[in-house]
Amino acid sequence: MHHTFEKPFHSPLNERVVGRQIALFAAFVLPATKLLEAPSILAKYAMGDLLVPALLHFLLQAGILAVVLFVVSRSEITLFERLQHVLKKGVIVLYLLYALYFLFAILLPLLDLEKYAYAAFFDTAPTTFSFLFFFFLSAFICAKGMKAVGRFSDLCLFLFLFSFVALLTLSVPETDFTHLLPFFGTKFQDTMCAFKYTTPHFSDTILLLPLLGNYQYKKKDAPKIMLGYAIGALCTLFFLAVFYGIFSSVAPREHYAFSKIAQYFPALSVIGRIDLLFVYLLSIVLFFYTALPAQYATHLFSRACSFERKAILSAILNFGLFLFVFFCNKYYNAFYRVIGGKLLWIFWLFADIFPLLLLLLPNGKKTKNASTKENVNA
Amino acid sequence: MNTFSSNLTKNVNALKKALPAEDILTYEFLTADETRCAVVYADGIVNKQLLGDLVARPLSRLSLAEKSDIPVAERIEKALLFPELKKLTAIKDALTEILDGNSLLLVDGASDGFVVGAKFLPVRAIIEPPTDIAVKGPREGFIEDIKTNMALVRKRLKTPDLRFETLRVGKRSETAVSICWLDGTSELSVKDAIKEKLNAVDLDYVPDSSYIAAILSPRKHSVFHTLGKTEKPDIFAAKLCEGRVGILVDGSPIALTAPFLLTEDLQSSEDYFVSPFMATIYRFLRFLALFVAIFLPAFYVAAQLFKMQLLPLGLMLTIASSVRDLPLSPSMEMFVVLFLLEVLKEASIRMPKYVGMSLSVVGALVLGETAVSAGFLSTPAIIVVAFSGICLYTVPNFVETGSILRWIFLILAGSIGPFGIVLFSAFLLYYLLSSDAFGAPILAPFSPLVRRDLRDTVVKYDLYSLNQRPRTFRSKNRTRLRFKKSNKKKEK
Repeated sequence: MHHTFEKPFHSPLNERVVGRQIALFAAFVLPATKLLEAPSILAKYAMGDLLVPALLHFLLQAGILAVVLFVVSRSEITLFERLQHVLKKGVIVLYLLYALYFLFAILLPLLDLEKYAYAAFFDTAPTTFSFLFFFFLSAFICAKGMKAVGRFSDLCLFLFLFSFVALLTLSVPETDFTHLLPFFGTKFQDTMCAFKYTTPHFSDTILLLPLLGNYQYKKKDAPKIMLGYAIGALCTLFFLAVFYGIFSSVAPREHYAFSKIAQYFPALSVIGRIDLLFVYLLSIVLFFYTALPAQYATHLFSRACSFERKAILSAILNFGLFLFVFFCNKYYNAFYRVIGGKLLWIFWLFADIFPLLLLLLPNGKKTKNASTKENVNA
Repeated sequence: MNTFSSNLTKNVNALKKALPAEDILTYEFLTADETRCAVVYADGIVNKQLLGDLVARPLSRLSLAEKSDIPVAERIEKALLFPELKKLTAIKDALTEILDGNSLLLVDGASDGFVVGAKFLPVRAIIEPPTDIAVKGPREGFIEDIKTNMALVRKRLKTPDLRFETLRVGKRSETAVSICWLDGTSELSVKDAIKEKLNAVDLDYVPDSSYIAAILSPRKHSVFHTLGKTEKPDIFAAKLCEGRVGILVDGSPIALTAPFLLTEDLQSSEDYFVSPFMATIYRFLRFLALFVAIFLPAFYVAAQLFKMQLLPLGLMLTIASSVRDLPLSPSMEMFVVLFLLEVLKEASIRMPKYVGMSLSVVGALVLGETAVSAGFLSTPAIIVVAFSGICLYTVPNFVETGSILRWIFLILAGSIGPFGIVLFSAFLLYYLLSSDAFGAPILAPFSPLVRRDLRDTVVKYDLYSLNQRPRTFRSKNRTRLRFKKSNKKKEK
């Protein structure tokens, strides 16, 4: 039986995201990327000055984001459409390169997430296969379109805000902010080391790029997105301050800080670790975020290879990622040294330098099909 | 023979050939000038007294042989005095009318048939629906008769904008399915999509609106429903006013509405008749209860097996002492208790009322108590399942879905603990946020975020703040509450 039921509702615009969703993504998804390993790495090198390298990262990324937004705002068509017009067939190479980059960028977060899952969800010793279930979720997410990413950003407003505020409310009374003093007490070299080794955790613009590339710019969207990014940065900086205020000198050894940060609240010894419920809620955002680069990679591979069956592509990619985690989780430190050390230039090149080259793109003009009408149900 | 001829015998024979069933009867009589007439009808669903008084009696006094400028058909129509009278020429249409409960009058010499609306279907009284009880507010409920249901809606929406379009679905049952909408308020593409899908289906029999819901559902294998269901005309009318499209199905007291949002399940008609503060408290209560109903058994098992920190030490020790000598593992124990609950629930619905009471006593008290004292089950597990079971019924429309989800979460909690619970929650969220039904996202107005529509979700604003229709439904006419200037002046 053939019917055309869904057709009236699936206009091309529906597959796009709107400015609000990108702003919410910047405000409430990107901070989740800095809650796992970044705080302990920052504390390891910068100690009480951990806010300085983080702030430097935010300023750098805000600059790159502003450039990308400027490029996006100059055109009446989407960034991807412009790239396609300019690069013609060459865009395939670009898509392939970025697909590979996203696969590379997901490796460390995956290893981190596995360790975090074992630490936060289990008191007992879990089997390695326990983490396999994450890849089912990831494969499902990867098969979904950009519209789902946009909607997920909307949902994160509630998930992130509720859990983040609850966790900080429980942890702030136990925080001694004097541990952050004196300001600039750490050597400049150490601060820069912290900056360098946390680059993979703070490469934010690149995660926004696929959304920005798939979106039709509207007036005043740029300030909205920049404000969203500023809110996300403030959330992260405040979290880092609380983190160091609580753990102080042992902070470098406190991995996956957000799952422990509220545990010292006195009432928890009576009512149980209800903070874990908020941690679990925030973990949902974290799962989505970790699957995101794989989702981008799936879409880019699909576009580059003109392979429409994303479910198959997603299954293959996630099976590969599972094998990576399964065989390489024992070499966690070695991978961290290589990816987060020797191969840092890849992050700088793809996440920082290439987006700046977008300035060279000529302005795009509106085509007949392009529409600027706001879609409530995007 | 596709149309009626002027020969009565031929016409009656054609009808008898097409409808050979023994309950299709023919009543023949003569007019004053001895012209032959016949009424063909389905026995049992026609008001025979009405046929005698308003059809046979006036016609028996009529003389059709007299010469007149007025055509025969018109003279018959004038003589009948019947409010529901329709003329038709196609035999196929006449068959549908007869099977639908109407009577067909044929007169010798007239090449038209007259459909007489003397339908008399046995219908039950309009009562308060058992699945949608309200302490405050209207108590009327839909019944199985579609005409009565349409009248109940019309009673509430006395506007020419209220439209009905009736389709026939079911090759054998020819069930009337009426699509209702408010012209200028509802999104017509939704109505067209429903119509298109119903026209495309080739089904034998439609016993209930749930069949129509299954046909219309954009996701065939989803545990979440994608159409709203209600048994109350006041809720149905309110949903039409919000810009939705309604579907009434003959033979079913449950009306459907589309598009459907998941937040509708948390709402009750009573929320709109109490203060917004109370309504908000009720909704939070329902939301919390739903959360407890689905997650409590799973977290109870996960805490015992994988993450003991989830429970306070004192409680953990109490549980540990009560499960110490149990022969079953925590997940197996929970599985058994939940299974018992489901069996008791199912049995109490099916059982005759007088046995039901004793079953509750045997099931809840004797079985539970004995199982604990025999050391087969623990008291905390029974408390957890009982509480979860009660909580689920605070959201009656979500009972089926919630029950399935509770099982899935329990299995995952027993296998990989809280990690499985959180992963599956993430999966459900992503599934829901990427689900659309009739152009509206199921998770709206949370995702996509429609700020204004949040006023009637988990929180409930006052009537004045809900002056606009939900944006999610893309209604052309957004305003639903406005004060006329003169009224405002009077108020001042």
